Amino acid sequence: MVKVIFVILVAAATGCTTVVIDEYRRSDGELAAGDSVVILGRRHSSDYETEPDLIDCVGRTLHNPDGGVTVISEQHFVDAMYPWFEPRTAPLHLKSLDRLMENSKVRERLEAFGVKYIVWIDGSTETTASAGSIGCSIGTGGAGCFGFGTWDKESDYEASVWDFRDKELSGKLNADAKGTSYMPAIVIPIPLIARVQNNACKGMAAQLEQFLLPGQATKS
Amino acid sequence: MALKINGFTVLGRVVLAASVLLAAACAHTVKVDGDYPEPVGEQYPLNVGYYLSQDFREFTYHEDSEDRDEWNINTGRAQQNLFQTVLGAMFTESIPLASYPQDLPDSIELVIVPEVRELQFTMPRETRVNIFEVWIKYDMHAYDKNGDQVASWVITAYGKTPTAFLKSREAALGQAINVALRDAGATLYTGFERVPELQALVASKQRALSLKDQPGGEAETTD
Repeated sequence: MVKVIFVILVAAATGCTTVVIDEYRRSDGELAAGDSVVILGRRHSSDYETEPDLIDCVGRTLHNPDGGVTVISEQHFVDAMYPWFEPRTAPLHLKSLDRLMENSKVRERLEAFGVKYIVWIDGSTETTASAGSIGCSIGTGGAGCFGFGTWDKESDYEASVWDFRDKELSGKLNADAKGTSYMPAIVIPIPLIARVQNNACKGMAAQLEQFLLPGQATKS
Repeated sequence: MALKINGFTVLGRVVLAASVLLAAACAHTVKVDGDYPEPVGEQYPLNVGYYLSQDFREFTYHEDSEDRDEWNINTGRAQQNLFQTVLGAMFTESIPLASYPQDLPDSIELVIVPEVRELQFTMPRETRVNIFEVWIKYDMHAYDKNGDQVASWVITAYGKTPTAFLKSREAALGQAINVALRDAGATLYTGFERVPELQALVASKQRALSLKDQPGGEAETTD
Protein backbone atom coordinates (compact mmCIF):
# COMPACT_ATOMS: atom_id res chain seq x y z
CA MET A 1 0.00 0.00 0.00
CA VAL A 2 2.82 2.37 0.96
CA LYS A 3 4.57 1.54 -2.33
CA VAL A 4 1.44 2.38 -4.33
CA ILE A 5 1.06 5.72 -2.55
CA PHE A 6 4.77 6.44 -3.13
CA VAL A 7 4.46 5.70 -6.88
CA ILE A 8 1.35 7.88 -7.15
CA LEU A 9 3.12 10.71 -5.29
CA VAL A 10 6.20 10.47 -7.52
CA ALA A 11 4.02 10.42 -10.64
CA ALA A 12 2.06 13.41 -9.39
CA ALA A 13 5.22 15.27 -8.41
CA THR A 14 6.58 15.56 -11.95
CA GLY A 15 5.64 18.20 -14.46
CA CYS A 16 4.37 17.35 -17.94
CA THR A 17 6.73 16.91 -20.88
CA THR A 18 6.03 16.35 -24.57
CA VAL A 19 8.65 14.78 -26.80
CA VAL A 20 8.60 14.78 -30.61
CA ILE A 21 11.03 12.57 -32.52
CA ASP A 22 11.68 12.97 -36.26
CA GLU A 23 13.76 10.59 -38.30
CA TYR A 24 15.43 10.72 -41.68
CA ARG A 25 16.87 7.38 -42.72
CA ARG A 26 19.16 6.83 -45.68
CA SER A 27 20.08 3.25 -44.90
CA ASP A 28 19.09 0.68 -42.31
CA GLY A 29 21.39 -0.02 -39.41
CA GLU A 30 23.41 -3.22 -39.54
CA LEU A 31 25.36 -4.04 -36.43
CA ALA A 32 27.31 -7.30 -36.51
CA ALA A 33 28.77 -9.09 -33.51
CA GLY A 34 31.78 -7.15 -32.21
CA ASP A 35 30.64 -3.86 -33.74
CA SER A 36 30.38 -0.87 -31.49
CA VAL A 37 28.75 2.52 -31.52
CA VAL A 38 30.25 5.80 -30.29
CA ILE A 39 27.99 8.61 -29.15
CA LEU A 40 29.67 12.01 -29.11
CA GLY A 41 28.48 15.52 -28.32
CA ARG A 42 29.11 18.45 -30.64
CA ARG A 43 30.86 21.23 -28.73
CA HIS A 44 31.99 23.67 -31.43
CA SER A 45 29.14 26.17 -31.11
CA SER A 46 29.96 29.41 -29.31
CA ASP A 47 26.62 29.98 -27.59
CA TYR A 48 25.68 26.58 -26.23
CA GLU A 49 27.24 23.26 -25.40
CA THR A 50 25.78 19.79 -25.83
CA GLU A 51 25.64 18.60 -22.25
CA PRO A 52 27.97 15.68 -21.36
CA ASP A 53 25.30 14.22 -19.07
CA LEU A 54 22.85 14.02 -22.01
CA ILE A 55 25.44 12.09 -24.05
CA ASP A 56 26.12 9.88 -21.05
CA CYS A 57 22.37 9.28 -20.59
CA VAL A 58 21.81 8.31 -24.25
CA GLY A 59 24.85 6.01 -24.14
CA ARG A 60 23.78 4.30 -20.93
CA THR A 61 20.20 3.85 -22.14
CA LEU A 62 21.29 2.46 -25.50
CA HIS A 63 24.11 0.23 -24.23
CA ASN A 64 22.86 -3.33 -24.31
CA PRO A 65 25.55 -5.81 -25.42
CA ASP A 66 23.16 -8.77 -25.05
CA GLY A 67 20.72 -7.02 -27.37
CA GLY A 68 23.44 -6.28 -29.91
CA VAL A 69 24.36 -2.65 -29.14
CA THR A 70 27.73 -1.95 -27.51
CA VAL A 71 28.30 1.71 -26.79
CA ILE A 72 31.77 3.11 -26.08
CA SER A 73 31.66 5.87 -23.50
CA GLU A 74 32.37 9.34 -24.82
CA GLN A 75 35.20 10.21 -22.42
CA HIS A 76 36.96 6.88 -22.96
CA PHE A 77 36.78 7.27 -26.74
CA VAL A 78 37.82 10.93 -26.81
CA ASP A 79 40.79 10.20 -24.51
CA ALA A 80 41.86 7.22 -26.60
CA MET A 81 41.66 9.29 -29.82
CA TYR A 82 43.25 12.46 -28.39
CA PRO A 83 43.59 15.06 -29.89
CA TRP A 84 41.43 14.25 -32.92
CA PHE A 85 37.95 14.40 -31.38
CA GLU A 86 38.35 17.55 -29.27
CA PRO A 87 35.81 20.39 -29.77
CA ARG A 88 38.03 22.23 -32.26
CA THR A 89 39.61 19.26 -34.02
CA ALA A 90 36.67 16.85 -34.35
CA PRO A 91 35.61 16.15 -37.95
CA LEU A 92 32.51 18.16 -38.82
CA HIS A 93 31.86 16.33 -42.10
CA LEU A 94 32.47 12.87 -43.47
CA LYS A 95 35.13 14.29 -45.80
CA SER A 96 37.08 15.47 -42.76
CA LEU A 97 36.78 11.98 -41.29
CA ASP A 98 38.19 10.57 -44.54
CA ARG A 99 41.16 12.91 -44.25
CA LEU A 100 41.64 11.88 -40.63
CA MET A 101 41.72 8.23 -41.67
CA GLU A 102 44.81 8.95 -43.78
CA ASN A 103 46.64 9.01 -40.45
CA SER A 104 47.47 5.32 -40.04
CA LYS A 105 47.76 5.38 -36.24
CA VAL A 106 44.35 7.04 -35.88
CA ARG A 107 42.77 4.57 -38.32
CA GLU A 108 44.29 1.59 -36.48
CA ARG A 109 43.01 2.88 -33.13
CA LEU A 110 39.50 3.41 -34.51
CA GLU A 111 39.45 -0.02 -36.13
CA ALA A 112 40.63 -1.60 -32.87
CA PHE A 113 37.52 -0.18 -31.20
CA GLY A 114 35.37 -1.98 -33.79
CA VAL A 115 33.49 1.24 -34.49
CA LYS A 116 30.66 0.84 -36.99
CA TYR A 117 28.65 3.97 -36.22
CA ILE A 118 29.62 7.37 -34.90
CA VAL A 119 26.57 9.24 -33.60
CA TRP A 120 27.01 13.01 -33.22
CA ILE A 121 24.47 14.71 -30.99
CA ASP A 122 24.15 18.47 -31.27
CA GLY A 123 21.83 20.64 -29.20
CA SER A 124 21.00 21.74 -25.70
CA THR A 125 18.28 22.17 -23.10
CA GLU A 126 17.38 25.73 -22.13
CA THR A 127 15.01 27.49 -19.80
CA THR A 128 12.83 29.52 -22.15
CA ALA A 129 10.51 31.30 -19.70
CA SER A 130 9.93 31.66 -15.99
CA ALA A 131 7.34 33.40 -13.85
CA GLY A 132 6.15 33.77 -10.27
CA SER A 133 8.01 34.27 -7.03
CA ILE A 134 8.50 32.50 -3.74
CA GLY A 135 9.35 34.23 -0.48
CA CYS A 136 10.77 32.48 2.55
CA SER A 137 11.07 33.86 6.07
CA ILE A 138 12.39 32.68 9.39
CA GLY A 139 11.30 33.89 12.79
CA THR A 140 11.02 32.88 16.43
CA GLY A 141 7.80 30.98 15.68
CA GLY A 142 9.39 28.93 12.86
CA ALA A 143 10.22 29.18 9.16
CA GLY A 144 8.22 28.84 5.99
CA CYS A 145 7.86 29.78 2.33
CA PHE A 146 4.91 31.11 0.39
CA GLY A 147 4.42 31.72 -3.31
CA PHE A 148 4.35 30.02 -6.68
CA GLY A 149 7.00 29.65 -9.36
CA THR A 150 6.88 28.15 -12.83
CA TRP A 151 9.40 27.74 -15.63
CA ASP A 152 9.48 26.23 -19.12
CA LYS A 153 12.32 24.20 -20.53
CA GLU A 154 12.97 23.19 -24.12
CA SER A 155 15.32 20.56 -25.47
CA ASP A 156 16.35 20.47 -29.10
CA TYR A 157 18.80 17.77 -30.14
CA GLU A 158 19.83 16.43 -33.52
CA ALA A 159 21.70 13.16 -33.89
CA SER A 160 23.67 12.46 -37.09
CA VAL A 161 24.53 8.80 -37.59
CA TRP A 162 27.74 8.26 -39.55
CA ASP A 163 28.55 4.83 -40.89
CA PHE A 164 32.28 4.71 -40.22
CA ARG A 165 33.01 1.70 -42.46
CA ASP A 166 30.98 2.78 -45.48
CA LYS A 167 31.89 6.45 -44.90
CA GLU A 168 28.34 7.68 -45.37
CA LEU A 169 25.61 9.45 -43.49
CA SER A 170 23.14 6.75 -42.48
CA GLY A 171 20.51 9.11 -41.18
CA LYS A 172 19.45 11.84 -38.81
CA LEU A 173 17.20 11.94 -35.77
CA ASN A 174 15.70 14.96 -34.14
CA ALA A 175 14.33 15.08 -30.59
CA ASP A 176 12.34 18.11 -29.42
CA ALA A 177 11.05 18.10 -25.87
CA LYS A 178 9.13 20.77 -23.97
CA GLY A 179 7.96 20.85 -20.41
CA THR A 180 6.76 23.13 -17.66
CA SER A 181 7.83 22.77 -14.05
CA TYR A 182 5.91 24.18 -11.08
CA MET A 183 6.88 25.01 -7.54
CA PRO A 184 3.98 25.89 -5.24
CA ALA A 185 5.09 26.82 -1.74
CA ILE A 186 2.71 26.77 1.20
CA VAL A 187 5.09 26.62 4.15
CA ILE A 188 7.12 23.96 2.31
CA PRO A 189 8.08 24.35 -1.40
CA ILE A 190 6.85 21.36 -3.43
CA PRO A 191 8.83 21.03 -6.69
CA LEU A 192 6.94 19.46 -9.61
CA ILE A 193 9.84 19.12 -12.02
CA ALA A 194 9.39 18.32 -15.71
CA ARG A 195 12.33 16.11 -16.67
CA VAL A 196 12.72 17.58 -20.14
CA GLN A 197 16.33 16.63 -20.87
CA ASN A 198 15.86 13.16 -19.43
CA ASN A 199 12.78 12.54 -21.58
CA ALA A 200 14.60 13.81 -24.68
CA CYS A 201 17.41 11.38 -23.84
CA LYS A 202 15.05 8.42 -23.43
CA GLY A 203 13.18 9.26 -26.64
CA MET A 204 16.37 9.63 -28.62
CA ALA A 205 17.89 6.43 -27.22
CA ALA A 206 14.76 4.42 -28.07
CA GLN A 207 14.70 5.83 -31.61
CA LEU A 208 18.41 5.19 -32.07
CA GLU A 209 17.91 1.60 -31.00
CA GLN A 210 15.23 1.14 -33.68
CA PHE A 211 17.52 2.86 -36.16
CA LEU A 212 20.56 0.68 -35.42
CA LEU A 213 18.66 -2.59 -34.98
CA PRO A 214 15.67 -2.22 -37.31
CA GLY A 215 14.74 -5.90 -37.06
CA GLN A 216 14.42 -5.99 -33.27
CA ALA A 217 11.76 -4.73 -30.87
CA THR A 218 12.81 -1.86 -28.62
CA LYS A 219 13.67 -2.41 -24.99
CA SER A 220 11.21 0.20 -23.72
CA MET B 1 37.75 53.38 28.48
CA ALA B 2 38.23 50.77 25.72
CA LEU B 3 39.79 47.44 26.75
CA LYS B 4 43.21 46.98 25.09
CA ILE B 5 45.05 43.71 24.43
CA ASN B 6 48.51 43.86 22.80
CA GLY B 7 47.83 47.40 21.62
CA PHE B 8 44.50 46.56 19.86
CA THR B 9 41.14 47.34 21.37
CA VAL B 10 38.74 44.39 21.52
CA LEU B 11 36.43 46.27 19.16
CA GLY B 12 39.34 46.77 16.73
CA ARG B 13 40.07 43.04 16.76
CA VAL B 14 36.46 42.16 16.11
CA VAL B 15 36.31 44.61 13.19
CA LEU B 16 39.60 43.24 11.80
CA ALA B 17 38.42 39.62 12.10
CA ALA B 18 35.09 40.47 10.47
CA SER B 19 36.89 42.27 7.61
CA VAL B 20 39.19 39.30 7.03
CA LEU B 21 36.22 36.93 7.05
CA LEU B 22 34.29 39.13 4.62
CA ALA B 23 37.28 39.43 2.29
CA ALA B 24 37.79 35.66 2.39
CA ALA B 25 34.11 35.07 1.70
CA CYS B 26 34.39 37.04 -1.56
CA ALA B 27 37.63 35.39 -2.72
CA HIS B 28 37.37 32.33 -4.93
CA THR B 29 40.17 29.82 -5.30
CA VAL B 30 40.40 27.29 -8.10
CA LYS B 31 43.20 24.74 -8.26
CA VAL B 32 43.20 22.78 -11.46
CA ASP B 33 44.81 19.39 -11.64
CA GLY B 34 44.36 16.70 -14.21
CA ASP B 35 45.87 13.95 -16.26
CA TYR B 36 45.88 14.26 -20.01
CA PRO B 37 46.10 11.56 -22.68
CA GLU B 38 49.04 11.12 -25.02
CA PRO B 39 48.39 12.23 -28.60
CA VAL B 40 47.70 9.49 -31.15
CA GLY B 41 49.71 9.86 -34.33
CA GLU B 42 53.15 9.94 -35.82
CA GLN B 43 56.03 11.31 -33.79
CA TYR B 44 58.13 14.15 -35.15
CA PRO B 45 61.64 12.81 -35.79
CA LEU B 46 63.42 15.23 -33.45
CA ASN B 47 65.35 15.00 -30.22
CA VAL B 48 63.78 17.71 -28.12
CA GLY B 49 64.39 19.09 -24.67
CA TYR B 50 61.66 21.07 -22.95
CA TYR B 51 62.00 23.44 -20.06
CA LEU B 52 59.05 24.23 -17.82
CA SER B 53 60.11 27.13 -15.60
CA GLN B 54 59.12 27.44 -11.96
CA ASP B 55 56.77 30.32 -12.88
CA PHE B 56 55.11 28.05 -15.41
CA ARG B 57 54.84 25.08 -13.04
CA GLU B 58 53.36 27.22 -10.28
CA PHE B 59 51.33 29.60 -12.41
CA THR B 60 48.46 31.26 -10.56
CA TYR B 61 46.20 33.80 -12.20
CA HIS B 62 45.04 36.46 -9.79
CA GLU B 63 42.20 38.86 -10.51
CA ASP B 64 40.70 41.39 -8.17
CA SER B 65 38.82 44.02 -10.12
CA GLU B 66 35.97 46.33 -9.08
CA ASP B 67 33.27 44.55 -11.04
CA ARG B 68 34.26 41.02 -10.05
CA ASP B 69 35.00 39.03 -6.92
CA GLU B 70 38.57 38.13 -6.18
CA TRP B 71 39.74 35.04 -8.06
CA ASN B 72 42.90 32.98 -7.65
CA ILE B 73 43.21 30.32 -10.33
CA ASN B 74 46.11 27.93 -10.11
CA THR B 75 46.75 26.07 -13.36
CA GLY B 76 50.45 25.35 -12.82
CA ARG B 77 50.22 21.69 -11.91
CA ALA B 78 47.71 20.88 -14.65
CA GLN B 79 49.64 22.63 -17.42
CA GLN B 80 52.83 20.96 -16.25
CA ASN B 81 51.11 17.57 -16.59
CA LEU B 82 49.74 18.51 -20.00
CA PHE B 83 52.99 19.76 -21.52
CA GLN B 84 54.97 16.86 -20.05
CA THR B 85 52.53 14.36 -21.55
CA VAL B 86 52.13 15.96 -24.97
CA LEU B 87 55.74 17.05 -25.51
CA GLY B 88 56.91 13.74 -24.07
CA ALA B 89 54.93 11.79 -26.68
CA MET B 90 55.11 13.91 -29.83
CA PHE B 91 58.86 13.54 -30.59
CA THR B 92 61.05 10.52 -31.08
CA GLU B 93 63.02 11.63 -28.02
CA SER B 94 61.94 14.16 -25.41
CA ILE B 95 63.96 15.17 -22.38
CA PRO B 96 62.60 17.32 -19.54
CA LEU B 97 65.23 19.93 -18.62
CA ALA B 98 65.73 20.94 -15.01
CA SER B 99 67.57 24.08 -16.10
CA TYR B 100 68.00 26.10 -19.24
CA PRO B 101 70.25 27.04 -21.00
CA GLN B 102 72.87 25.29 -18.83
CA ASP B 103 73.75 21.58 -18.93
CA LEU B 104 72.03 20.67 -22.19
CA PRO B 105 72.47 17.03 -23.28
CA ASP B 106 74.47 16.71 -26.51
CA SER B 107 71.77 14.82 -28.37
CA ILE B 108 69.26 17.68 -28.21
CA GLU B 109 68.37 19.40 -31.49
CA LEU B 110 65.69 21.74 -30.20
CA VAL B 111 64.65 23.20 -26.86
CA ILE B 112 61.02 24.19 -26.32
CA VAL B 113 60.12 26.71 -23.63
CA PRO B 114 56.43 27.58 -23.06
CA GLU B 115 55.24 30.67 -21.16
CA VAL B 116 51.73 31.73 -20.15
CA ARG B 117 50.93 35.07 -21.74
CA GLU B 118 47.40 35.51 -20.42
CA LEU B 119 44.32 33.82 -19.03
CA GLN B 120 40.78 35.16 -19.28
CA PHE B 121 37.43 33.83 -18.21
CA THR B 122 33.76 34.77 -18.31
CA MET B 123 30.84 33.76 -16.14
CA PRO B 124 27.26 33.06 -17.32
CA ARG B 125 25.89 36.16 -15.59
CA GLU B 126 28.40 38.35 -17.46
CA THR B 127 27.67 37.03 -20.94
CA ARG B 128 24.04 35.93 -20.39
CA VAL B 129 25.00 32.70 -22.09
CA ASN B 130 24.60 29.56 -20.04
CA ILE B 131 28.29 28.58 -20.19
CA PHE B 132 31.58 29.25 -18.42
CA GLU B 133 34.35 30.18 -20.86
CA VAL B 134 38.14 30.26 -20.50
CA TRP B 135 40.89 31.46 -22.83
CA ILE B 136 44.57 30.75 -22.23
CA LYS B 137 47.31 32.12 -24.44
CA TYR B 138 50.78 30.56 -24.44
CA ASP B 139 53.95 32.01 -25.95
CA MET B 140 56.00 29.14 -27.31
CA HIS B 141 59.73 29.51 -27.92
CA ALA B 142 62.01 27.06 -29.68
CA TYR B 143 65.81 27.39 -29.44
CA ASP B 144 68.67 25.43 -30.93
CA LYS B 145 71.27 23.92 -28.64
CA ASN B 146 73.39 27.09 -28.87
CA GLY B 147 70.54 29.12 -27.41
CA ASP B 148 69.63 30.90 -30.67
CA GLN B 149 65.92 31.27 -31.28
CA VAL B 150 64.63 28.97 -34.02
CA ALA B 151 60.95 29.87 -33.84
CA SER B 152 58.34 31.50 -31.65
CA TRP B 153 54.61 31.01 -31.98
CA VAL B 154 51.42 31.46 -30.01
CA ILE B 155 48.96 28.83 -28.85
CA THR B 156 45.48 30.09 -28.04
CA ALA B 157 43.37 27.62 -26.10
CA TYR B 158 39.64 27.83 -25.45
CA GLY B 159 37.43 25.85 -23.14
CA LYS B 160 33.82 26.04 -22.10
CA THR B 161 31.46 24.09 -19.96
CA PRO B 162 27.73 24.38 -19.37
CA THR B 163 26.38 25.40 -16.00
CA ALA B 164 25.14 22.45 -14.06
CA PHE B 165 22.64 22.17 -11.28
CA LEU B 166 24.28 22.04 -7.85
CA LYS B 167 27.76 22.64 -9.29
CA SER B 168 29.81 25.48 -7.80
CA ARG B 169 31.28 28.24 -9.94
CA GLU B 170 34.74 27.06 -8.94
CA ALA B 171 34.04 23.51 -10.11
CA ALA B 172 32.52 24.70 -13.40
CA LEU B 173 35.45 27.03 -14.06
CA GLY B 174 37.93 24.26 -13.21
CA GLN B 175 36.19 22.02 -15.75
CA ALA B 176 36.32 24.76 -18.42
CA ILE B 177 40.06 25.23 -17.74
CA ASN B 178 40.61 21.50 -18.18
CA VAL B 179 38.86 21.68 -21.56
CA ALA B 180 41.04 24.67 -22.49
CA LEU B 181 44.19 22.79 -21.49
CA ARG B 182 43.19 19.82 -23.62
CA ASP B 183 42.66 22.29 -26.47
CA ALA B 184 46.14 23.72 -25.84
CA GLY B 185 47.61 20.21 -26.08
CA ALA B 186 45.68 19.54 -29.28
CA THR B 187 46.90 22.78 -30.86
CA LEU B 188 50.46 22.14 -29.72
CA TYR B 189 50.48 18.73 -31.41
CA THR B 190 48.49 19.49 -34.56
CA GLY B 191 49.93 23.00 -35.05
CA PHE B 192 53.61 22.22 -34.54
CA GLU B 193 54.31 21.60 -38.20
CA ARG B 194 52.34 24.66 -39.26
CA VAL B 195 55.09 26.90 -37.87
CA PRO B 196 57.24 27.47 -41.00
CA GLU B 197 60.62 27.28 -39.22
CA LEU B 198 59.68 24.06 -37.46
CA GLN B 199 58.21 22.60 -40.65
CA ALA B 200 61.56 23.25 -42.35
CA LEU B 201 63.43 21.67 -39.44
CA VAL B 202 61.24 18.53 -39.49
CA ALA B 203 61.53 18.26 -43.29
CA SER B 204 65.31 18.61 -43.10
CA LYS B 205 65.52 15.90 -40.42
CA GLN B 206 63.26 13.59 -42.42
CA ARG B 207 65.45 14.12 -45.48
CA ALA B 208 68.55 13.34 -43.45
CA LEU B 209 66.98 10.19 -42.04
CA SER B 210 65.83 8.97 -45.46
CA LEU B 211 69.34 9.53 -46.88
CA LYS B 212 70.78 7.63 -43.96
CA ASP B 213 68.38 4.74 -44.59
CA GLN B 214 69.41 4.45 -48.24
CA PRO B 215 72.13 1.85 -48.90
CA GLY B 216 75.47 3.63 -49.02
CA GLY B 217 73.76 6.90 -48.08
CA GLU B 218 75.44 9.47 -45.85
CA ALA B 219 73.86 11.07 -42.86
CA GLU B 220 73.08 14.73 -43.24
CA THR B 221 73.28 16.88 -40.16
CA THR B 222 70.55 19.35 -39.25
CA ASP B 223 72.85 21.84 -37.54
